[in-house]
Amino acid sequence: MSSGRAQLPPVFVYLSSDDIMLVLTASHLRKTYREKKEDLLAVKDVSLQVAAGEVLAFLGPNGAGKTTSIKMIAGLILPDAGSVKILEQDPHLNPKALRLLGAVLEGNRNVYWRLTCQENLEYFGVLRGLHPKQARLRSQELLERFSLTHKRDRVVQALSRGMQQKLAIAVALMHQPPLLLLDEPTLGLDVEATEDVKRLVREIAVEGCAIVLTTHQLAIAEELSDRVAIINNGEVTVEESTDELIRQFSNSAYLIETQESIPLVQQQKLEALGVELESDRRIHLAEPTLLYPVLEILKPLPLLRVEIDQATLRDVFLKLIRQP
Amino acid sequence: MTRILYLFVAELKREWILLRRYAAEAISGIIGLVIVFYGLFLSARYVAGPTAQLGDRLDAIVVGYVLWSLSIFILGDIAGSLQREAQTGTLEQILLSPLRVSYLFLIRAIANLSIQFLLNLFVLLAISALTGSQLSFSLAAVPPLIAVVLGAYGLSLGMGSLALLVKRVQQVLGIVQFVLLFLLTVPIETWAGSSQIFGMLLPMTPGAGLLRTVLAQGKPVELVPLAIALVNGCVYFGLGLVIFWWAEKIAKRQGKLAGY
Repeated sequence: MSSGRAQLPPVFVYLSSDDIMLVLTASHLRKTYREKKEDLLAVKDVSLQVAAGEVLAFLGPNGAGKTTSIKMIAGLILPDAGSVKILEQDPHLNPKALRLLGAVLEGNRNVYWRLTCQENLEYFGVLRGLHPKQARLRSQELLERFSLTHKRDRVVQALSRGMQQKLAIAVALMHQPPLLLLDEPTLGLDVEATEDVKRLVREIAVEGCAIVLTTHQLAIAEELSDRVAIINNGEVTVEESTDELIRQFSNSAYLIETQESIPLVQQQKLEALGVELESDRRIHLAEPTLLYPVLEILKPLPLLRVEIDQATLRDVFLKLIRQP
Repeated sequence: MTRILYLFVAELKREWILLRRYAAEAISGIIGLVIVFYGLFLSARYVAGPTAQLGDRLDAIVVGYVLWSLSIFILGDIAGSLQREAQTGTLEQILLSPLRVSYLFLIRAIANLSIQFLLNLFVLLAISALTGSQLSFSLAAVPPLIAVVLGAYGLSLGMGSLALLVKRVQQVLGIVQFVLLFLLTVPIETWAGSSQIFGMLLPMTPGAGLLRTVLAQGKPVELVPLAIALVNGCVYFGLGLVIFWWAEKIAKRQGKLAGY
C-alpha cells in the first residue's frame, strides 16, 4: 500500500507558490422557479469567488437560496442569468468542467449503500474520468487517509453515519478536484465524527483545494472558514474575511466577572468611575482605558474571568439576517 | 472512447457485484417470468384443445415472450435507474460526471442489458425445457435483434425523459408494457398493403417480425426487411436521444434534477 502511495502525485497539484489562484468565480447568479403559475425568486443575485486553499463559508437561513446557488455552481441547475467559471471553464457550457469539482450534497446519500467503501471509490473514480488502475491506487490512498482501510470491504449501509460521510468526502476527492462543495458536511454527526470531518476539511484546504462550505453550525463555519458569504432572500448581503467580519461586529468592551459579589463600597467606586455593572459579579466595561483602574478597585477580589466582549459568527449572522 | 469503455466495464462490474450480492432478487425475477409464461402456455393449450399441435406458432410465441421480457427490461431501465438513483440519493453524484447524462445512462443500460441477456438466456432455456419448444439459434438473428434493441433503447430514453420531468412513471410503464406486447407479437409479416407499411413504422415491430421468421421458422433473413428494421431501430433510437437531451435541459432549467 505504501508503494501505491509513493507512485501517486501530491494530493492536490494545482496550488502555485504564493500566487492567489481563483478557482471559482460565480457572477450575478439568478434563478426563478415557476410554480402553480407563480414566479418564485429563489436566487436574486449571488456572486462568489473562492481561491485555491481557501474555505468560504456560505451561510444563510433556510430558504435563502444556498442550495440552489450551490447546485447552479455544480451545473445541476441552469441559472436564468449570470455565469459560473471553475478555472475559467463553465460547467453549463462544457460538461468537462465538472471534472474540476467534487461535491457532497446535503440530503443525499452521495454513495451506493449496497457497495463497499472500496467499490464506491473505484466506481466513482472511473465515473469522474480516472483510469481504473489510477482509481484503485487513489482509493487505497484515500481509505488510508480517511482511516477507513479497516472498513474497505464493508457495505456502506453497515457503516456509522460519520464513516458514511467521510466516505462521501473521499469519493468527492477521488479525481483531485480543485473545487470542493460541501453542503452541510457535519449534519447529524456525533462529536468525534464532526472533529474528524473538520480536520479533513482543514487538511484538504491546506493542500490547495478551494472549498465552499454551507452549514447551519456556525461555530464550525467560524472555525474552518477564511471568508464568509451570507445570503438572505436570494442575495449575498455580506462577503468578508471571517476574522474581519467578527472584528467589525465585536466591540472593544471588556467583560469582567468576579468569583464573589462585589462589596457595596467598591460598587460605588466603580459607579463613580462611570462603569456599568451588569450584576453584583459582572461588569461590562465599555471604555477599555478604564481596565486597570477598575482592576485596582476590585483588588484583592478573586476574578473569574476578564475577556474582550467579542462577537461570534453566530451573533454576526443573527444581526445581519434580522436587518430589515 | 477509452473512457467510455472503462466506464462500461465499471458499470458491468457494479451490476455484477449487485447481482451476486443480491442474487435472490434476480432469481425471483427469472422464476416469475417463467411461471407467467408457463401459465400462458397452459391456458393456450387448454383453449386449443389436447390434440392441437402448436409447433411453429409456439416457437413464435416463445420468441415474442422472451423479446417482450427483454424489451420491458430495456424500456424501464433508464427511467427506473433514474428513479432509483434519485430515491437513494445518488443521482446528483452521477450527474456530476463529465460525461453527458444521456450517454452515461445509455452505457449503464447497455451494461445492464448484458447481464439481462444472461438472465434471459436462463428464461429461454427454462421455457424451452418446460414446453418442449426448440428454437433454431442462428447468427442471422443478431441484426434483427440489434434493430429491436435499438428501438427499445429509443423508447427507454423516451421513458427516461418522462422520468426526468414528471418523476413517477410507474403507471405509464405499466400501460406501455402491454403496448409492447402488441408491438412485439403483432404478425406484420403476414400483413399486406397499407397496413404492412403502417406496421413498419411501429417501433421495434419490423425487427421482432424478422426475429420470428429466423428463430421460429428457420428462414433466412432478407435484406430489404432487415434494412427496414434497422432504419426503424435507428430512427427511434435517435428520437429517444433528442427527446432525452431536451428533457435534461428542461429539468436543469426547472431545477428538477435533484429532488424527488
